[in-house]
This record gives sequence, C-alpha cells and structure tokens, in this order.
Amino acid sequence: MIISVVSGKGGAGKTTLAASIAQVFSAEFYDLDVDAPNAEYFLQPKFSQTTPVTQPVPVFAEDLCDGCGICTKECRFHALYKILKTVYLTETLCHGCGLCEKVCPQQAISYQQASVGNIRTGYSQKIDNMVHIGDLTIGSTRGTYLIGEMVKKIDRQKLSVIDGPPGNSCAAVAALKPADLVVLVVEPTPFGFHDMQQTEQIVQQMGKNYLIIANKAMGSESVDQFFQGKSKQTALTIPLDDRYHKANLRGEILSQKFSEIHQGLHTAVSRELEKL
Amino acid sequence: MTRQIAILSGKGGAGKTSITASIIKMMDSVVAVDADVNASNLPILLPYVSQSSSAYYGMDIAQVDHNQCTRCGLCLSTCQFDAISQDDDGKIFIDSDCEGCAACAFVCPVNAISMTDRKGGDWYVSTIDNGFLVHADLIPGEDNSGKLITKVRGEASTLAKANNIAYIVIDGPPGTSCQAISSITGVDLVLAVVEESLSGLSDYRRLAELIQKFSIPHVVLLNKAGFNAEVENKIVQAVEEFNGKIIARIPFDHKIPQALQHLQSLADMDGYREIIAKLLENMKISLKD
Repeated sequence: MIISVVSGKGGAGKTTLAASIAQVFSAEFYDLDVDAPNAEYFLQPKFSQTTPVTQPVPVFAEDLCDGCGICTKECRFHALYKILKTVYLTETLCHGCGLCEKVCPQQAISYQQASVGNIRTGYSQKIDNMVHIGDLTIGSTRGTYLIGEMVKKIDRQKLSVIDGPPGNSCAAVAALKPADLVVLVVEPTPFGFHDMQQTEQIVQQMGKNYLIIANKAMGSESVDQFFQGKSKQTALTIPLDDRYHKANLRGEILSQKFSEIHQGLHTAVSRELEKL
Repeated sequence: MTRQIAILSGKGGAGKTSITASIIKMMDSVVAVDADVNASNLPILLPYVSQSSSAYYGMDIAQVDHNQCTRCGLCLSTCQFDAISQDDDGKIFIDSDCEGCAACAFVCPVNAISMTDRKGGDWYVSTIDNGFLVHADLIPGEDNSGKLITKVRGEASTLAKANNIAYIVIDGPPGTSCQAISSITGVDLVLAVVEESLSGLSDYRRLAELIQKFSIPHVVLLNKAGFNAEVENKIVQAVEEFNGKIIARIPFDHKIPQALQHLQSLADMDGYREIIAKLLENMKISLKD
C-alpha cells in the first residue's frame, strides 16, 4: 500500500505531513523530491547504505566514428553536437533513448552507465522504519528517471509513504503513479488553491483515491469559501500556528509532538485506507 | 542592453512569487516572466490585460497506424520509457509516458509509427501597468516544461528589445532540476529567496551549487526570519561560502500571508515597501559590478 503526498504549490507542507503520516502509521518512507530532498531533517535516519543510480548514455568509439553527423541530426533532445568531425554529448540533455546507437551507420556508438544520483537508505527511530532519500546529481535533468528507479524498489506489501515533488509536471506524475492513496496538501491561499486544482485534475485523470488536507489555514473562512459546493471536501484542516512552525524549524515531527495532529491524521488517513 | 534577473529559492513556498511581484510593482518598466509554468502564480498577484495567447507544442508523440502495424512488438522492446504496451490481441498502444525520442519509429520494419504534434500547454503575452507579463500554463502532467520556459523567456527578450525595456525579471520554479536550469541560463543575476529553516538552507546550498556551475552572481533575501538564530547563522555562513551576499531580511510576520489572501504584495504594505525599494536598489548595484 502506497500513500503519495503531493501539493502542486511548494511549501504547502508536503514533507511536514508526509513525515507525520509515516510516524503515525510507522510506514516506510521515500523522499522523491529528488532535486530538493528535505525529509531527512525530520526523520533523522542513520544512513547505512548509498546506492548510485545510473542511466545508460552513449559513448563514441573514435576509431569507428567517421563524423557523418547523422546521430546529431536524429537526436530529438539536442543532446549531440558535432565540431569538425568529432561528436560530443551534452549528458544532462540525454534521455538514454538509444536512437543514436541505432541510426549510426558505423556502429560507433554503444551505451555505458552514467550517474544520475544516489539513493541513501537508513533506519529512522522516529518512525521505526526505513527511509530512502533520492539525491539527484546537481545539474542533472533526469529527476523523473531517478524517481522511477526509486519507485521500482518499493515493496507494495508494506505500507509506504512517498514525499512527492512540487509542481504539476512529469516528476509529480511519476510520484503519483504508484499511489494507492493520494494525500493532497493545500495551502489555503490564492496560490495554493490555484496549484492544487491542477494537481487534483491529474489525480482525478489517473483515477486515484485521494483526500485533501488544508494546511497553514488562517481561520476557516477561506477554506470554507473555496470548497463550497465542491464534491471533494477537506478531510482535515491544520491551522497556521506559531507552535507548529517552531517545532518544524527544530526538525520535530508534528504528529509526535502534537496529539491533535496525530489524531487528526490517524482518523483522516485510516478512513481512506479502510476503503481500499 | 537588457539585464535579466531570476528569482529562485530551491525550496518551494519560500516566497519567490510574492517577492517577485513586489519587486516588479516597484520598477519603472519591466518585462515580467513567470517561469514556474506548471504552477504559474505570478499572474494572480499582477493585474494584467491579456494581449495574445498561443499554443505550445512540446516533444512529439509516437502514433501507430494500425492498418500498417504487423504487431511484431519490436517497438515494445526498443522503448526505454515503458511507454508502449500491447493488448491480448497484440494491438500496440502508446501512452503519455512517450518522451518523443522516435526510436520506435526508426526500428519499425513497416514504418507504421509516425511522430506527431503534442500540445503541451499555452503561453500568453499581457500588458501590466509598467510593462509586460509573459506567462504560460503547462497542461497538468505534461512533460518538457524546460522547453516551454525557454519559449517564454525568448518572447520576453524580444519584447524587451522592441520596447527598449532595461530589465527582465523572472519568477523561477522551485527545485534545482530541469525547469530551474532553463530559468537561469544566461541571466545576469540570481536573487535567492531563502526561508529560515533547515530545509531552506539545504535547498539554498543545492541552488547555490547549481548557479555556481553557470558562473552567475547571486544575492540573497532571507525570508520568514527571526525564529531561529542558529539556523539563520548557518544560512549566513553558507551564503559567504558560496560568495553570495545577503541584501535583505524579511521577518516571519502573519501580516504578510494575510495581505496575500487579499492579493496584496509587500509593495502595497507600509514598512515593507521600503525594504523592497532598498532590495531593488541593491540588485541594480550588484548588476553594475
């Protein structure tokens, strides 16, 4: 069973709530916000393993390449270019699709593994379970690939929580794809509502079960107003509270520190999990 | 000559968009760009009048001609993105994971696969009180926002040149991945909005490393400050380490999110207007150096 926590807008509280949900249910944790991973500050795992993640990229046999340039013309990601008779690769643009290898008339191209990032794994006492953090190599554009590789490692027999990336592009979709239940975190501001609606659209198109948590609410007015007449209502509203903010800054897990958050999340998430 | 300033943070929710809107409102003339194309929020804070809207096409998508297809399955084993599937009868399907590489079209022995246009979103040119706004909406879930960002930035440059506007201000996406890279290539200065938290610090370090790779100078605005002196100190040290410069500090103040609820920016708030004016002045000085 996989729970993915996403929001559309950044800073809505994905990591805060993902860590809390993992704590409440003692679930295994996957930080898939690979280009800004932060869950470790809350979970404080003792890292015991670092697994490099690689993707195949083309290498050129200089003695075979005659500089015809067909590969540079065929590559749809503009990852290859030619100066005089030599072909060069911009590794960060390469999607590893394999087309250049196939079009090369001299069979001068083969594929070799190149680093995309690392997965760090360790045990967190705070959630009494394992934590997996994805670290994308800085400057790499292959975040979605790294997310995909991490998702492949998830054991569906266990309960796992995914901390997803912000936004509504391919990376967010990759973190939503494996989910049995999606927790949509909305910051009740004009920005937060705007971005959440786009995420909700993706979640609905994918046919996922989901629940909505409003976080950092300044009074209930804006939440009530926004959700008026909507088929999906919030399962839980968490106020903007200096105590929560301070605890967050100290790296504390809110559900561990505040019983109302523990109970609120337990009730809201259990209700949906039971339906599955 | 047009100068380009990009505002980024690494961490989401650090305050990029509200700071960007505040800066833009206080400039004489500007081309504003919202480069956070998959969560575009700058237009919410900037009153604009729409001038034009255009469709954006991202990477192509593969399409199968079922009359030609012999259901051999070669495309299936070629695709590196698990975007091709076959039903029980052997019929081939291309799903939205297709990255448009065209490897399947190349290997198909009967040329049954062609590459076709795939709409990825729309982009818009609008006027604002003191210039122009260029923004875009990626269709939720679509790929290749980097290309769309390059598109809106190109349009902004054209507008700046044609109208003799000295500054382009870019509201960047969160993170340090492809969208962030597309937002900063070729800019003259990055303003990093850093939230006073461990996450804010960690994401700032990743961002600073990225902009260092592109040899772009940067200045820092410390946001939501005043809760944790220890974290603030660590941020100050990290900024020094990356040769940045903290040029403004904004406290954690409930009045700010409250004003945002009513679509007011810091430029509309007494006490903060002055901080933004000073910030703008400092950025202009940094651009001259």
